Amino acid sequence: MNMFSSAAIAILVTMLLVLIRAFKGPTVYDRILAANSFGTLTMLLIAVNGFLSERPDFLDIALVYALINFIGTIAVSKFVHFKDLAPPLPNNDPGDI
Amino acid sequence: MLTKTSILRVVSKLLIPPIMLFALYVQFHGDFGPGGGFQAGVIFASAFILYALIFGVDNARKVAPAWLTRLMLAAGLLLFAGVGVFTMFLGGDYLDYSMLSKDPHAGQHLGINIIEFGVGTTVAGAMITIFLIFDGRLRAEKKD
Repeated sequence: MNMFSSAAIAILVTMLLVLIRAFKGPTVYDRILAANSFGTLTMLLIAVNGFLSERPDFLDIALVYALINFIGTIAVSKFVHFKDLAPPLPNNDPGDI
Repeated sequence: MLTKTSILRVVSKLLIPPIMLFALYVQFHGDFGPGGGFQAGVIFASAFILYALIFGVDNARKVAPAWLTRLMLAAGLLLFAGVGVFTMFLGGDYLDYSMLSKDPHAGQHLGINIIEFGVGTTVAGAMITIFLIFDGRLRAEKKD
């Protein structure tokens, strides 16, 4: 049992704990933080899995996950705070195709 | 625009250029590692979505006006189909990349890169358009 598999098991256990917090979480902020941490742990798991299967290209995917996770957390936080992703604006641009 | 959250504004200003650069890396490194046109398009569009979330849709619309996203949607598909038809004029089948160069291997390399660039352009345009359309629909509903 090498270093990477023990790291993977530790990350999986932490993910379980974070999931419990996400489901129990008394406030919505607990849930957002849990979702964000779950994303970070997923990123770590992807990176560790890449080294486990001896394919370090997986680091690219982990990087993408980190970037998208950041944007997702901002979007959810903004939605919770303002009840809207983009507050209504005065001009009349319906989005357009 | 989120005027009171200076941390978010500064962090996203720092993060938007690397996201776009990473999208281009995923785009043009797709033949050696994980990646390709679709993923690159989504990552590129996510930079615009981050900008729209933090600085407001009006400012994002100034960066990506309707004519630009429309042009991206059409131009990518035109590039994809155009390469296919172009190889037909060169005497091959539809999307027969080997015709693009004297060396078939180099031709295939060039062909797949151009095709993936077309896919990336269309997907980026589509993702930005989808985000802005949802915003426009919310605005239209609020008006009624």
